[in-house]
Amino acid sequence: MKLKKKPIFIVSIAFTLMLLLSSLSLATPAEAQEDPYIIATDVTFAPFEYQNEDDEYVGIDIDLLAAIAEDQGFEYELRPMNFSAGLQALEANQVDGMIAAMSITPEREESFDFSEPYIDAGPVLAVHEDNDEISSYADLDGKNLAVKVGTTGAQFAEELAQEYDVTINQFEDSANMYEAVVAGHSDAAVEDYPVMAYAIQQGLPLRLPTEPEAGYPVGFAVNGGQNQELLTMFNAGLVNVMEDGTYDEILETYLISAEDATVAESAGFFSLLSNNFGALMAGLGRTLVLTLVAFGISLVAGTIIGLFSATKNKALNLIANIYVTVLRGIPLIVLAFFMYFSVPQLFNIQLSAFAAGIITLSLNTTAYIAEQVRGGIAAVPIGQLEASRSLGLPYRQSMQKVVLPQAIKIMVPSLINQFVITLKDTSILSVIGIVELTQSGRIIIARSYQSGAMWIIVGLIYLIIITILTKLSNQIERSLAND
Amino acid sequence: MTKLKTENLHKSFGNLEVLKGLDLEVQEGEVVVIIGPSGSGKSTYLRCMNLLEDVNDGKVIVDDFDLTDAKQNINKIRENIGMVFQEFNLFPHLTVMENILLAPKQLKNLSKKEGRELGMSLLESVGMSDKADAYPNSLSGGQKQRAAIARALAMDPDIMLFDEPTSALDPEMVGDVLEVMQKLASEGMTMVVVTHEMGFAREVADRVVFMDDGHIVEVGPPSQLFNHPQQERTKNFLDKIL
Repeated sequence: MKLKKKPIFIVSIAFTLMLLLSSLSLATPAEAQEDPYIIATDVTFAPFEYQNEDDEYVGIDIDLLAAIAEDQGFEYELRPMNFSAGLQALEANQVDGMIAAMSITPEREESFDFSEPYIDAGPVLAVHEDNDEISSYADLDGKNLAVKVGTTGAQFAEELAQEYDVTINQFEDSANMYEAVVAGHSDAAVEDYPVMAYAIQQGLPLRLPTEPEAGYPVGFAVNGGQNQELLTMFNAGLVNVMEDGTYDEILETYLISAEDATVAESAGFFSLLSNNFGALMAGLGRTLVLTLVAFGISLVAGTIIGLFSATKNKALNLIANIYVTVLRGIPLIVLAFFMYFSVPQLFNIQLSAFAAGIITLSLNTTAYIAEQVRGGIAAVPIGQLEASRSLGLPYRQSMQKVVLPQAIKIMVPSLINQFVITLKDTSILSVIGIVELTQSGRIIIARSYQSGAMWIIVGLIYLIIITILTKLSNQIERSLAND
Repeated sequence: MTKLKTENLHKSFGNLEVLKGLDLEVQEGEVVVIIGPSGSGKSTYLRCMNLLEDVNDGKVIVDDFDLTDAKQNINKIRENIGMVFQEFNLFPHLTVMENILLAPKQLKNLSKKEGRELGMSLLESVGMSDKADAYPNSLSGGQKQRAAIARALAMDPDIMLFDEPTSALDPEMVGDVLEVMQKLASEGMTMVVVTHEMGFAREVADRVVFMDDGHIVEVGPPSQLFNHPQQERTKNFLDKIL
């Protein structure tokens, strides 16, 4: 009897969520005109932008933007994401502007419109503090170079690679790049000078073997031809804050007083955990919401598509087959980029990162659940359907009352498995800027420079949550098996 | 009055033709037993009678309704044709009572009380009233098959099809099931039975059909077919099994 009620319950939850979700994504474009400007920034680029221990975004870019917005009287909302993702979001009009220590290069000027420059940042080489092999570019011959995707530092590394025999390792954010050098995977990193200097002052065990290169000036960007009024306001505000001394104050805060800053150097495992507990739990919360919503949707959609492939109707079989083939054949990360960057450009709609994340995860999970439903139905002896049909029950009722309840029991173990996979897959959504558990970890590393302990903490949280959820699911499985 | 009729019935699985033009008329209240060697097509033939198997050619007519007509509401007609399977096919996730009442509850407006009463009277008729709330897995084979018969009767059908109902049973269980079937027959139920139980055929059948290789070879009252078979193939078959 329990079985009769549960699917209805799950279905109703899933539908409610779907309705909620669709109303959310519908509401976004309508409100877009009155909404504050959405400004992309990097997640991890101290001292330009980073989260302090109170989980507030601070840094040169952030404070400058705040000062200019106040001066010019416009509202904005920050959207931290990986630098290369930010560039794509700007190009896709997912965001209105971007401030992320962005060098004004000729290539970028082809796509974007830049403000007046507000600082210069040239790339500089950084090596492990114990490394005394490298003292010039020539010493890089035969070495590994760590760079961040899409940065001017990466461009400079390409130039070095033409002259010397260096291998380039690409990273998505600065923290990972530094850690690669600290851990010895890469021999040197290329990074903007102010950022590198700040990180070293914060206790990162790197040193600068060479002088910084002359850099490109850094500016605020909007997509080419878009949001020109925002650009005009930024330029006007920049002049004002430079004149009234605010600009100098900001630079002093981050470039000079940084020397005095006493960051808890290599805080212990537990203080790292307790200092960042709030941020980690917020990330975990988002991970769980993503998982539950996507899994709920996938349970409904997957059952429908699974039923399509179980019927004798050739057209429905084909639809199910195509869906499963396509969605199983695309890596989740590619699907996430497609949803977040391509879909808005192709269909001219706005999609929040969270909505794009849920859609991505749901599309992917649906394909796997559909296969499990198909398998579950196939595992129910054909005599069950025949007995039901012979009583005069129509196909649909026979599936609903006789075949599916048995198929679900068969499917439960693989559904639990899929749930765990979906939960872990949420970490991939960090690439489009969703601050779930993995991304929370990255952000904390970006300000604490303690990747060693942090990844252990993040891993343990995943492990604990998945263990708890698996135990719970097994309980449900057992109670299903008993009746 | 003719209750069930097949006309020139053909059925193939892929390239293999298993039914090669079968004609038969079953009268109201008649018990027809189909016998024949395995692979002769008798189960397939029975399954065509309520269209669990699509037919390739020919007609199946029940109460003047042509089942092979695509416009026919097959579900409505099936309510009137009960079927009992060799492997019982009870629904394992439902109790015996729920098995019996699934179709009546879905298809008729039945109050809880009416349902329970219907279920109990059916269970009584098969001698299973004490097992109403048991799950199928806790029943013996004979009990399962009697529960399955009660379920097949739940929509109050005029015709019952039995597909080797005792073949999956331990020998000591066979008697109980045959007894229930015999009782049904004595109450005037129209029955088509595929079975290897020659004793049952002899005692209960009005007519016996001998099938071989997709053909109906011979039809006749049991006394004639068993004692004076007209066809050589019938004789050979009976010699082997009797």
